[in-house]
Amino acid sequence: MGNLGELEQIVLMAVLRLGADAYGVPVHADIERRTGRELSIAAIYKTLERLREKGFLTARVGDPTPVRGGRAKRQYTITSTGRQALKASIRTIRRMAHGLDVGLEPS
Amino acid sequence: MTSVMTFPPRVLVKLATRLMRDDMCDAVVGDLVERFPDREREHGALRAKVWFASEIVRGILQFPRSPRLATSRGDGLVQGFLDDLRRGARLMRRAPMQAFLCTLTLGVGIGAATAIFSIADPMILRPLPYASPDKLFMVWETDGGMRSNTGFATFQDVLNRSTSVERIAVAGSWQPTLFGEGSPTQVTGLRVSWSYFRTLGVSPALGRDFAPEEDAQARNGVVVLSDALWRTRFGGDSALVGKTIDVAGRQMIVAGVMPAGYDDVLEPRARIWRVLGYDQTLSFACRSCRHLRMVARPKPGVTPAAMSQELSALSAQLQAEHPQDYARAGFQLVGMQEEVTRSIRPVINAVMVAVLLLLVIAAVNVGGIQLARALRRDGEFAMRAALGAGAGRLTRQLVAEGLVQAIAGGVVGVIVAKLSLASILHALPDTLPRLAAVHLDLRALAVAAALTLAGGFALGLLPAWHARTLSLMSSVRSARVAARPHRLRSVLVTSEVALAVALLAAAGLLTKSVREVLSVPPGFAESDVATAQLQVSGPRFANGTEILAWQDRVLDAARAVPGVTSVAVASQLPLGGNFDAFGIQAEDKPLDNPQLAPSADRYTVSADFFRTMRVPLIDGRAFESGDNRTGAAPVAVVSASLAQRIWHTTHVVGKRIQLGEPTRPWYSIVGVAGDMHHRGLDVAETMQVYIPTHTFFFTDNQVDLVVRTSGDPSRVLPALRSAVSATDPTVVVTRLSPMSEVVRASTAQRRLSLTLFGAFAVFALFLAGAGIFGALAASVAERRREIGLRSALGATPRGLAWMVLRQSILMTAIGGAAGIACAVASGRLIGGMLYNVRPGDPVTLAIVAAVLGAAMVIASVLPAVRAMRVHPAEVLAE
Repeated sequence: MGNLGELEQIVLMAVLRLGADAYGVPVHADIERRTGRELSIAAIYKTLERLREKGFLTARVGDPTPVRGGRAKRQYTITSTGRQALKASIRTIRRMAHGLDVGLEPS
Repeated sequence: MTSVMTFPPRVLVKLATRLMRDDMCDAVVGDLVERFPDREREHGALRAKVWFASEIVRGILQFPRSPRLATSRGDGLVQGFLDDLRRGARLMRRAPMQAFLCTLTLGVGIGAATAIFSIADPMILRPLPYASPDKLFMVWETDGGMRSNTGFATFQDVLNRSTSVERIAVAGSWQPTLFGEGSPTQVTGLRVSWSYFRTLGVSPALGRDFAPEEDAQARNGVVVLSDALWRTRFGGDSALVGKTIDVAGRQMIVAGVMPAGYDDVLEPRARIWRVLGYDQTLSFACRSCRHLRMVARPKPGVTPAAMSQELSALSAQLQAEHPQDYARAGFQLVGMQEEVTRSIRPVINAVMVAVLLLLVIAAVNVGGIQLARALRRDGEFAMRAALGAGAGRLTRQLVAEGLVQAIAGGVVGVIVAKLSLASILHALPDTLPRLAAVHLDLRALAVAAALTLAGGFALGLLPAWHARTLSLMSSVRSARVAARPHRLRSVLVTSEVALAVALLAAAGLLTKSVREVLSVPPGFAESDVATAQLQVSGPRFANGTEILAWQDRVLDAARAVPGVTSVAVASQLPLGGNFDAFGIQAEDKPLDNPQLAPSADRYTVSADFFRTMRVPLIDGRAFESGDNRTGAAPVAVVSASLAQRIWHTTHVVGKRIQLGEPTRPWYSIVGVAGDMHHRGLDVAETMQVYIPTHTFFFTDNQVDLVVRTSGDPSRVLPALRSAVSATDPTVVVTRLSPMSEVVRASTAQRRLSLTLFGAFAVFALFLAGAGIFGALAASVAERRREIGLRSALGATPRGLAWMVLRQSILMTAIGGAAGIACAVASGRLIGGMLYNVRPGDPVTLAIVAAVLGAAMVIASVLPAVRAMRVHPAEVLAE
């Protein structure tokens, strides 16, 4: 089980926060709102699919809605291994950042 | 919400459905559709659409359908290629300046070549749109080498006696005014013998062709309309066929309507055709009334040579039978295709060469940019080769990168082609044949794009091939310490400069030619003169008296316009494009054969013509108002060269001359005027004869009005139009403009070639400048370490700048010299378009050199400054 890349961490956190309604559009919006990063939808799905292949996410076909022109959503849910991998990643960052002054206010 | 209804575009969605993995397609496309309204609100419709399209492309690239592609992570052939494409796009983003130059270069080259080819193809390359166009010939009468139109009687003889001709027809010009609904409109047409369309091998789309029995004096009230005229004036009403319309005051039957694509190359502006209906009793149907153009098609199996031979024999026969009507008679057979492209072919040929040069420059530039990029990536390639990438893999990557560049260049090319095609078409005179068939030729676009790319990327691929043989260490080291000047690149840029200089020189010579032509004294003073072409028609003007009375009303009305100081009418204008000439016979120098008489431009004018146009009188007097009265003693003014030609002196006042037929009246010469340039400023002055309108033996229902004004002539134009329009309800006013416009218009073809060459020269100079800039910038970037070292060792900024400039000067000087040599050597190519200037004109070449120098300096400034700013500490620390 490999380590998470930065983009993978970000996407995984967004999925976790969004809960049941995690698919491309809200994931994209969450990332953009919090980081100011504008990713392409395709790049987000690429990451989501990679996380799914690694077993950190599961995907299911959701309901088609009219605003999507009747196309089904592809919704993702975090798995327990996913949750653990994310925890491990965040812990690593916290430990490494501990005591460093990089000009950030304490969160 | 309407945006959701009109969006997404079906093509893109279909593309995604076809190419994307099923499980991802709905997810991605659905998300995009869901996001679209927000994007549109935030960024506007256009940018939202661009976003949508690019997102779809990304989706396809990330999740391609083919299982072979999906399972392989970069190893599958197509997947790998898609990766390469993506990498190509990334590279473009990483080096935007380079990508921009490359795209623009490709775009300009492809666009210009496409536009020119789109024009050249229908005009000179594609066969005429008639049945077996290669079997269609124009038949000209010749008189000792000079070719001329033919008379009706001659046409009849060829028709009746020739055995080699399958079909033959004649056409004469005809400019009727249409009455009926709407305002009277003058249209251009042709008066044709009944077999005209059959000879060309075309037939009406609606109704019928002319019938043989209609080609007779009593039954000739039949016309055929063009599709355009039928649609615009008659609303495309198919019930019009068989009905009558009012043509020049006469009711004529509409027999048929030609197809929309029919293009009359004899008169590209023709909108209406009338059956000729001559017979030999008509005074203008004689042998020497040469105003008809003859078209013929030989019988199957008869070669042009055989037909030509038969016609020669026939002309000898005719001359023996009618010695008074022919001088040194003969017939000349010219392929119709060749005939209609005669005037435009040299220009298009030269321009095609220019386009080719531009394409070469574009290819060289793209190649240079690719080469520089590849050289800088020597290290990358060597590294990847060492890690096991085959030469094929590296080549594929370069090709993919090229493809990304090509798509961008192609898009710019389409835009450039569209814009330049539109502006060139706007500049072309509408008398050119086949203009209507010109359209943006996509095949040409594809070919131009392919050629440019093939050339450019062949150069770009060189280093990939080279990289295969690199050893990792030496290459990585040399990429860092690169100090070797890239000779290939310098050679490319130098040749670019040479090509640009050759084009610049051509443009310079053409500019000088136009100036020289416009500085030729025309023989009259065009400043402060306004002019208009006026025509009246209808049964009321059947006899000359009515027309003359109307002309007098026109003169009075124009004279009353404020700001007008002097007015006159004339049957034609110098440089106006009318070539009406008569044979002149002198009473004291009789000729056995009147056909040998010198021919002079016939000007029937009102009394004040000389004063209004400021044509100088060399001897005798100008006309007085007493001369221009019905029943006045017949007098004439001749131009100096006509007097010289007949009597070898200009003291000819009192001598008597006759115009045309021996039965015409004699006119006493009262004055000798200076010669005018009638046919063109670049054609030698021709001879003129002037007769007062009231004493000439026929009256034109179309006249040119000229007025001299006390200020800017364009200011009187509106008042002039309303004044002359009020003289008769049927009057049609055309070509209302200052006389200087008429003079300028006579140089239209010259200015066209100048415009084209000028545009090419500007493009080429831009491309060469970009090439110099690119080469210097790359060299400074590659030599950063060296420059830093030198700077640390005490080189001054000035010295460093000089190091860069020296390289630039070297390329410019060698390229410039080669280009000028090229221009002088290829002078023959554009020699025919030059006037009063030699291909080696030193002033022009000096200006070209100065322009080139300035461009070189501009292109070198930034790289030189960059070299001066290299900080030794920074570089050495790297």
